[in-house]
Amino acid sequence: MVMASPARGPRARPEGPAFLGRADLQALLDLLREDGRTLIGPTLDAGAIVYDEITGVEDLPRGWADEQGPGRYRIHDRQDDRLFGYVVGPTSWKKWTFPSLVPLTSATRDGHKVGFEPVPLDPPRLAFLGVRACELAALGVQDRVLTAGPFVDPDYAARRANVLVVAVQCTTAATTCFCTSMGTGPEVESGHDLALTELDGGFLVDAGSPAGRAILERLPLRPATAVEQYGAAATVAAVRAGIGDPVPAAGLHDRLLAQLDSPRWLEIAERCILCGNCTLACPTCFCTSTTQATDLSGTTAMMSRTWDSCFSPGFAKVAGGSFRSRHRDRYRQWLTHKFATWWDQFGESGCTGCGRCVTWCPVGIDVREELNAIAPARPPAAETALVEPAAPSPTEFVTAHVTGTKAETGDTVTLTLESDHPALGRGGPGQFAMVELPGFPPLPISISRYLPGGLELTIRGAGAATRALGKLQAKDEIGLRGPLGSSWPLDRAIGRDLVIVTGGIGLAPLRPLIQAIIAERRRYGDVRLYYGARTPADLLYRGELERWKSASIEVALTVDRAGPEWLGPVGVVTNLFDQATWDGSGMVAFVCGPERMMQATVSTLAGRGIPASRIYVTLERHMECGIGLCGHCQMGKYFICRDGPVFSMAQLGDIFGREGI
Amino acid sequence: MQDQASIVASLNSTWFASGLEPETQTRLAELARTYHAEPGQELLREGDPSDLFGVVIRGRIALRTLVPERGEITILTIEPGDVFGWSTVVPPYRSTSTAVAIEPTDAIVFEAAGIRAALRTDCRLAVALYPRIMLAVSRRLNATRHQLLDLFAAEEVRSW
Repeated sequence: MVMASPARGPRARPEGPAFLGRADLQALLDLLREDGRTLIGPTLDAGAIVYDEITGVEDLPRGWADEQGPGRYRIHDRQDDRLFGYVVGPTSWKKWTFPSLVPLTSATRDGHKVGFEPVPLDPPRLAFLGVRACELAALGVQDRVLTAGPFVDPDYAARRANVLVVAVQCTTAATTCFCTSMGTGPEVESGHDLALTELDGGFLVDAGSPAGRAILERLPLRPATAVEQYGAAATVAAVRAGIGDPVPAAGLHDRLLAQLDSPRWLEIAERCILCGNCTLACPTCFCTSTTQATDLSGTTAMMSRTWDSCFSPGFAKVAGGSFRSRHRDRYRQWLTHKFATWWDQFGESGCTGCGRCVTWCPVGIDVREELNAIAPARPPAAETALVEPAAPSPTEFVTAHVTGTKAETGDTVTLTLESDHPALGRGGPGQFAMVELPGFPPLPISISRYLPGGLELTIRGAGAATRALGKLQAKDEIGLRGPLGSSWPLDRAIGRDLVIVTGGIGLAPLRPLIQAIIAERRRYGDVRLYYGARTPADLLYRGELERWKSASIEVALTVDRAGPEWLGPVGVVTNLFDQATWDGSGMVAFVCGPERMMQATVSTLAGRGIPASRIYVTLERHMECGIGLCGHCQMGKYFICRDGPVFSMAQLGDIFGREGI
Repeated sequence: MQDQASIVASLNSTWFASGLEPETQTRLAELARTYHAEPGQELLREGDPSDLFGVVIRGRIALRTLVPERGEITILTIEPGDVFGWSTVVPPYRSTSTAVAIEPTDAIVFEAAGIRAALRTDCRLAVALYPRIMLAVSRRLNATRHQLLDLFAAEEVRSW
């Protein structure tokens, strides 16, 4: 046997593949047994296809297939005589290479003296029959963990060296399979001594090691025909195509570790029952405990290694308590270890995509679904573009007509617009529209409200184009493109306290956010709005501020200067909360205002304990096309119009507030 | 004689005075008295000698400055926890703005003569208090700079 190397080396291919007649499979099994090996292979037991000791072909699950889904496993009759027409069952090969109970040391205590005697290693000579590509990968993963140093598990190393591996190519897949995403299958490529591909009349046989080649020489084989070789390859290729790519793995490590605070962990914790089935069924999970069994006198004790699970209550316990006492911590530990930190520790993924944890989870938690929800493959900015915008191309505009205007302040007007295009009323909070009044350059304007069949724009007259927009009257028409750009990620705030800090016209893009919060107020914790304006006369949406208060939003206003009639706070907006008593560590912050104000705000929020990954700002840059093609709004690696305008501070890092970027 | 324990408790509720050594708190409480101002009541007058240094416990004090032809402009409000009248302990001991209560306001105050003498002669008190006065003044300076930027003013967009 060649110890499986986790690195996928070139396939050993001494000669072309050979063909073994169906009736001659027993000859292979007999050879393996003649070599003094106990055969472990698939067999039917209690309604499942499990791995167990077998003696002959008659023990194999002839004509049986398995149907699998989240929390579901059933077998059914295939109506043929295929021996390997199933996928994988609840057992994995670690049952023999890494048993759940291994006696380690016999310890004695005689008066003052203690003694320790290691249990002699006596690994059985085994042959595994029917090892799938994902399982070969799993053996490789455990080889890396337990034998690649700096320390070696002697029991595992001895058992593993005594195993001969007969792999089987997958000719069918379960709905739970995702080896293709994890890069482990379905093709058997390395780590095997022999590989079989089951065809109608028999098996294509290939050797993967010198030990495998030695066996081939003793078998009644004939060279495989081209049709047989093609048929075998086509079958496995069809399996690959059928599985697809359920968990895009590119960047998964970083994506997942960036989501340690995802509210999804809490949501999963409400379903997870901490049974640990996933870790028991997993072919790579290797965590163990040492147990002691003493005789009645307490003078001799047998120390044994048993499987443990990071889901078990005592797993992270110390004298002062458990480091992972909550359900969400334990699920997060398991998932982030498998798919992220395993890479840091062992240079590869801890998951091989076999799907056992999906099938054998009694509540049907599907890691693929959770990974895609927690750490989606698309960047968050693109993720939040909720609807296909109307007229994305800069050459086209959707016509909208003014149905109402409202003077908010001396220089700021809210236009209510109606349009036939459904996308305009259905964007996300924080998105903007490109607004075109013929004769003026198109302007990016934040959408300040979504309405059925329309939207509102709040525009401050700061230049010729905005002043012209501010003079529009009912029935006037304008051209719109949008909604464009990213939204405030309100889903990250579910179950959390929110703080919203804004100044001046910056309240406009936050207004749809506040309206969305009010629409589902119970989903969020305390919501605090800190709003600063130049003077009391410059406060926007004054009537609505009162309504927001009555929807349990704490609204605190401040102005930069005021006459004696103003009895509220005067000062910069950060004065409203830099000495507040709340603790920001669990909060989400949404910030919009002039960049210099946002810098001061972000640094105050950070000082109150809100992590950078949960402080969101919206940036303003010169935008002309609104879709990332004209290049004007570039800031470092981002186009503000396409990747933003909403960004987390973790995304922006130190380019935020840096001069001249 | 005020109830010193309640003065200590009030001081402790403010960021300005919380966490001081118990001896310093006691010393401060000996110098302090409670103060109540009704809306409209003037506590300090811009340009006049400052005779009151205090910490707002409840209410709101507006700091105003007189601008010719524009009248009195509120440039800052003092909220609970913050200090007013720092010019009482910093030469030349003249108020930099007019302080007017705009809500019913409770404060803990220190008379000029007593607090100045204490800070001059009691090194422990001075060492404990001056960094906090510095913090209050620097916080106000930073905020004033931001206000000076007039960030929310409508800005003429470039011609594009």
